Amino acid sequence: MASAAVRAQVAAKWQESFNRLNRNEPGISGLLAFSEAWTLAIEFLKPRDLSDPAPQKQYDLNKVRAAFGVVGECRRLPVMMEVFLEDMRKSQHLITREVEAYMTLYEVKVPAPLQFVVSLNSSSQSNSDPEAIRSLVYRLVEWYSAWKPTADLGPTMISAYTLAFQTHIFSVLPPSFARGIKALVSATLQRTVSQSQDPQDRLLWQAFDTLSLIDRYETLIASIGYEFIESYVEETCARKWSEPMLATLRAWMIDKIVPWMLYPFARGATNADEAKTMMQGVGSRFDFHMHKTLCNLRTKEIFDIIVDFPESAGALQDLKECLARVDQRADLVQALRQANNKRLLHPGADTKDILTHYVSTIKCLRIVDPPGVLLFKVADPTRRYLRDRPDTIRCIVASLVGDGESGDSLVDENDPILPLQQPEMENYSDPEWNPEPIDAGPDFRASKSSDVISTIVSIYDTKDLFVKELQVLLAQRLLAVKDGNFDRERRNVEILKIRFGEAALQVCEVMLRDMTDSRRIDQHVQSQKVSSMHPTIISRHFWPALESSDMVMPGQFQILQEQYAQEFSIFKPDKVLRWLPHLGRVHLQLELEDRTLEADVPPLEAAFIELFSEKDVWTVDELVLRSGSINRNAAVKALATWVDMHVLKEDSEGVFRLLSVAEGPTPGSRPQAPKPAEAGELPPVMSVQQQQAEQMKMYWKFIEGMLTNLGSLPLDRIQSMLKFAPGYDRTVEQLGSFMEAARREGLVNIKDGMWRLGK
Amino acid sequence: MKVHIKHWSAVAQWRWNIGNTNHDQDDEGDVCGICRVPFEGCCPSCKMPGDDCPLIWGECSHVFHMHCLLKWLGTAASKQQCPMDRRAWGAWL
Repeated sequence: MASAAVRAQVAAKWQESFNRLNRNEPGISGLLAFSEAWTLAIEFLKPRDLSDPAPQKQYDLNKVRAAFGVVGECRRLPVMMEVFLEDMRKSQHLITREVEAYMTLYEVKVPAPLQFVVSLNSSSQSNSDPEAIRSLVYRLVEWYSAWKPTADLGPTMISAYTLAFQTHIFSVLPPSFARGIKALVSATLQRTVSQSQDPQDRLLWQAFDTLSLIDRYETLIASIGYEFIESYVEETCARKWSEPMLATLRAWMIDKIVPWMLYPFARGATNADEAKTMMQGVGSRFDFHMHKTLCNLRTKEIFDIIVDFPESAGALQDLKECLARVDQRADLVQALRQANNKRLLHPGADTKDILTHYVSTIKCLRIVDPPGVLLFKVADPTRRYLRDRPDTIRCIVASLVGDGESGDSLVDENDPILPLQQPEMENYSDPEWNPEPIDAGPDFRASKSSDVISTIVSIYDTKDLFVKELQVLLAQRLLAVKDGNFDRERRNVEILKIRFGEAALQVCEVMLRDMTDSRRIDQHVQSQKVSSMHPTIISRHFWPALESSDMVMPGQFQILQEQYAQEFSIFKPDKVLRWLPHLGRVHLQLELEDRTLEADVPPLEAAFIELFSEKDVWTVDELVLRSGSINRNAAVKALATWVDMHVLKEDSEGVFRLLSVAEGPTPGSRPQAPKPAEAGELPPVMSVQQQQAEQMKMYWKFIEGMLTNLGSLPLDRIQSMLKFAPGYDRTVEQLGSFMEAARREGLVNIKDGMWRLGK
Repeated sequence: MKVHIKHWSAVAQWRWNIGNTNHDQDDEGDVCGICRVPFEGCCPSCKMPGDDCPLIWGECSHVFHMHCLLKWLGTAASKQQCPMDRRAWGAWL
């Protein structure tokens, strides 16, 4: 039972509502007027079916506005809005139906199984016609404006309507709609870029804006821009390294992309400044993407860029700028290391090529990253690999002194010649001091200079190896010099002195002086007594170990040697000569019965032919015996030289006969083996490795003694004892491999890490 | 057949003529008793071997790098004696 109080309250409410609707009009006329206005307003707002062929009902706008006024006065607008939205919900099926119709039209050409693939791929591969989507968008705009309440109803009403409308269309649009949008947008981009402005585009963008599609598909639209930039960069910049492309790309962006970006990202801007502000964020994202794309491209190409250096300097400049914007240094290091491993650091690559590439890498990465962190990271595997190659030093030295035949030396002739740089301690009191770059590893050593030679030499811990190798190389060169012109060698030594320091090259200096002294002495000796002999007199201990030989020169050669030595001793009474008969070269003239011929041969060949002037037939063994205990292989090779020149003939195995009268090649004789190129033959100077092996023979005596006296010893004990031996400079690893070699020969054996002499 | 030698660029080493030609095959060579460097090398204060760093023959038959010996004779402790046998030093010419 409602109490009286409740009844009174309800009555008061009723009265209040009545008063509000009736607006103090007489009777219920106010109420009637409101009812009329309400009906009119609701009727006016009610969403209608656009496809309804019935002519649209015309309203007197003044009346409608008055009706809105009445409803507003009665504070019934919120309710009206709800009713309107409810009406709209009821009519939504109309839009859904149309969307479906258009989308079917759009998708109809794509067979169902393909659809998935197509929606993954870019729209360009789709057969569907984006025009269907365009019509759909326009149609939706029509719906939107048809249902839109008039502006009189205030912004709340409009935004509530817009929200409801959009919520609905977004819920009914299928995923393939995005693909259509993408196609449409790309088309506008294409048109903007190709400067063929289509007024349609502006309309389309306006339609997008009306439907808020831009906000919804912002990432999609941006990705179209990104993809376009990517393909453009790929197309214009790939393998074009000679010039920096960034400036061109930037101009292109401003010229082509920015006008297009104005549509989606600066809509509603009234002047240039406003547009600029609106574009700032998205603009820098696009700019970033352009840098990133170029950076990726160059990173991918980096190995070939380095190969092409210095023609590719432009690309490196770009890369430098890109890396400053895009943090992809790690990727670059990774890519280059991978490419190096795959293409360079394998047994198929020539050491010289690896070195050349390494030098280019140094130069390139110095451009990209002056502090050298990238270089340090990239170079590490290369350096380790080079250190393990036996011929690296030889290669470096050969290019240091400018290998005559191969013009491309590692060193640029124009580079200033600098002393080798030692890693220096950091000077923290230097006002110019900078901390190490942020991505520098713990063992990063900043090297201030870009001196290539210093960097290469620092592959090894010591420069002594270089000096030794240099000595060997110089010795070979000097002994091979025929015309007495060694200015080139002198120049090289002077250059290297600057690099390695005077003291290290003292030995080379002595070698050069020996050459000039020899010339002077020879001039003197010739003035006393003319001789066809012109020896090079060398100071032992200052030349690399020359292979020793017990060869004896026969006949007139010996006489010449003795005569010369005698003259020398008269000139320099306190000195004597010791011949190294296996070195040098002899120019001979052979007078045979039917012909004379001239030959330029090594001494052994000369010795043999001299012996043949004694008698016509020799066996190899006899020859070996007569010319001192020489290597039999060498003897056979020397004889082959004469056989090739048709001076000797091998009658039977090991028996050679002089051809005083030339003989044609007899049938059945062996086809002549092609003569090995003799020009490249170098004097037999022991290589550094051979020298080391030679030295190790001496230390073997110590080891042998140790093991005899003490039984068995561990490796490090042997090493520490050998350290007492003069000149011993091996590491324990080297000793280990030497011992291992000795074990293979059965000289020692090892048990539980203890070495003992083998039986 | 006749062999004419037109031009022979041979290679030789020089040695000091210190009389002991019987040691011809001894490859190590003798060393200066003072600096322990081979005679054909040079004394510690020289850079060029040979005529620039000559030897000196003593009456006592001992041989040294000249510079080494002069330095030795320059010290008070030498008493002008040969460092090997402590006999009065006299150069043998």
